[in-house]
Amino acid sequence: MSGAKGRSGGDQKASWRGTWRRGRQSGAPSAQPHRADVNRRAVAKPRTRLVIVGIGFMFVAVAGQLVRLAATPRPEIVASLTEPMAKSFARPDIVDRAGRLLATDIEMPSLYADPLLVRGVDDVAERLSLALPELNAGDLRRTLSDRNRRFIWLRRGLPPKVAQDIHNLGLPGLDFRTELRRAYPLERLAGHLLGSVNIDNRGSGGIERTIDETVGVEPAHGGTPRTGMPVRLTIDLGVQHTLEDELTAAMGRYEAKGVAGLVMDVRTGEMLAAASLPGVDPARSGEILDPSRLDKIQGATYELGSIFKIQTVAMALDGGRVKPDTVIDVTQPLTAGRFTIKDLHASGRPLTVSEVFLHSSNVGAGLLALGEGPERQKAFLESLGLMSPMRTEVGPVAAPQLPPKFGRVEQITVSYGHGIAVAPIQFAAATAALLNGGTTVTPTYLSGRAPPPEAGRRVISADTSRAMGVLLRRNVAEQGGTGRRADVPGFRVGGKTGTAEMPGRGGYQEKAVVSSFLAAFPMDAPKYLVLILIFEPKGTADTAGEVLAGRNAAPTAGRVIARIAPQLGIRPDGTVASLD
Amino acid sequence: MHPVTVSAAFLAISSAFLLYGLSYETKQLEARVAQQQRQADQARSDIAVLKAERAHLLRPARIEPLARAQGLAPPADGQIVETVPGATIQTGTISR
Repeated sequence: MSGAKGRSGGDQKASWRGTWRRGRQSGAPSAQPHRADVNRRAVAKPRTRLVIVGIGFMFVAVAGQLVRLAATPRPEIVASLTEPMAKSFARPDIVDRAGRLLATDIEMPSLYADPLLVRGVDDVAERLSLALPELNAGDLRRTLSDRNRRFIWLRRGLPPKVAQDIHNLGLPGLDFRTELRRAYPLERLAGHLLGSVNIDNRGSGGIERTIDETVGVEPAHGGTPRTGMPVRLTIDLGVQHTLEDELTAAMGRYEAKGVAGLVMDVRTGEMLAAASLPGVDPARSGEILDPSRLDKIQGATYELGSIFKIQTVAMALDGGRVKPDTVIDVTQPLTAGRFTIKDLHASGRPLTVSEVFLHSSNVGAGLLALGEGPERQKAFLESLGLMSPMRTEVGPVAAPQLPPKFGRVEQITVSYGHGIAVAPIQFAAATAALLNGGTTVTPTYLSGRAPPPEAGRRVISADTSRAMGVLLRRNVAEQGGTGRRADVPGFRVGGKTGTAEMPGRGGYQEKAVVSSFLAAFPMDAPKYLVLILIFEPKGTADTAGEVLAGRNAAPTAGRVIARIAPQLGIRPDGTVASLD
Repeated sequence: MHPVTVSAAFLAISSAFLLYGLSYETKQLEARVAQQQRQADQARSDIAVLKAERAHLLRPARIEPLARAQGLAPPADGQIVETVPGATIQTGTISR
């Protein structure tokens, strides 16, 4: 056997078989026990190896299977990847400052067709166009006849009942896919702010677009709404409703072509409400394209008229050259080139700076601006942010339209709000800085984004700000004030009226005006600013045939404040009774 | 047969059974997870619809007329009465 050492396995086996046979034939295996044991051991060794190798293979196979199971993705995902991908996106909810829902995603069925499986195209097109009247039967027939396509959307975002009706028709080749669609449960409320989404549930305007750009949206395969933190706005649902309700009433009452308004926190710039009527339905993105439904709060600029005197008087008082009781001769009209500027209701006597504000004297405002000089006037408006473009989370604000130079004419006209056109939200932010103690604010619609009040840049002194508060309050509280119809007992309202003629063909139109009222309350420590704009109001019996802001915008602001002040936690304290 | 062979074969067969059992159990668990996932998705979807319905029902344009019909209105000047500490407040019917 020693000779077999070093041979191959086959040779070993052959040798072993021969030995065994020989042993049996000789009948003497027992005669050589040690030799048989040696043989068995020699034979058992490669057999054991074989078994071990076999078992090893089995273990390897088992391990391989385990690895395969662990590494293989779930079958349903594999299947879904081979299907046409739905492009729907899951969006976060939008809530107001108190967490009340403004927009959310809900599942809705979308109808699609596989033309290859459609039987009887004419019949299907006919019956489908009856169920969905907005679909044209001819177009439908053409679409369904295209056998080269296997997937065609027919109608996305169907109401569940309509989807059930179509399902009940039992038409072959048609099926539904559940998608996420944006729902606005408050209907048209805050339509301009919220914006809209496109057919794939991606933001196409307003806050919805900002969400796409900042928070982000997630591709949704299927129709499961997104879970996670909602986007919280600074808007207060109750204040927004009140503002829209009063603006709607004002639009009817004064037969106006449009109205707009906003409510802002003067300390932080947070917007509590903003509305522009005619409004838009966020569920119908096409409405925003209608020019009459333009967002007048930040989508356009206007010459705002005499409410601009707030800026002019603040500039003059803060400059230190005049005080509220400084007398100015306003008896003579101002001339600038070929223009003559005079007061509508001239008092015929010199006025103090306070009276210039309270009587809304154009001549007085012009003189104050001329006294400060063009550089100072320009620098002051720049410091208030009235000369640079602005942007909010709703979108870009229409850029201010400024005079090409600040000559004598421009200085005078800008002092009373003509020759300069700004978006109402930009004007409101600039005025908030004059009433909150003198520091700038940036308008914002997203909660938690406003910097702390002390972070603002100082533009006027706290004393000047207080003096402006007094003037605004006097304009509402005093008998001769132009804003007295805005007064709400107990809520210490202050404000300034503005009635600006609108530019048209061949100059300004006397009959077409923008009536505005800028109000703030409570004036002992101003917290909220309300700006009301009424576009092209008519003189009615209510207004004694006048279109002046004191007759329409001021009372509208008063009505708004009477309703929103309690909602905002302002306590009426004018005539509080004491019980003892 | 060699004891090692027998025990190895036994181990392999046992492992196979064990693996089969595990695989079966895993599939069952997967099915359960998938079912619960579907239920959770459905519940999430139902919650979204209910939230939207609740917001629609609670919209101020609907609630305000109902509140006003009940005689409710925003508090106005003079409605709030300040009490002096220690003062006794009488409640009930006012006798004339």
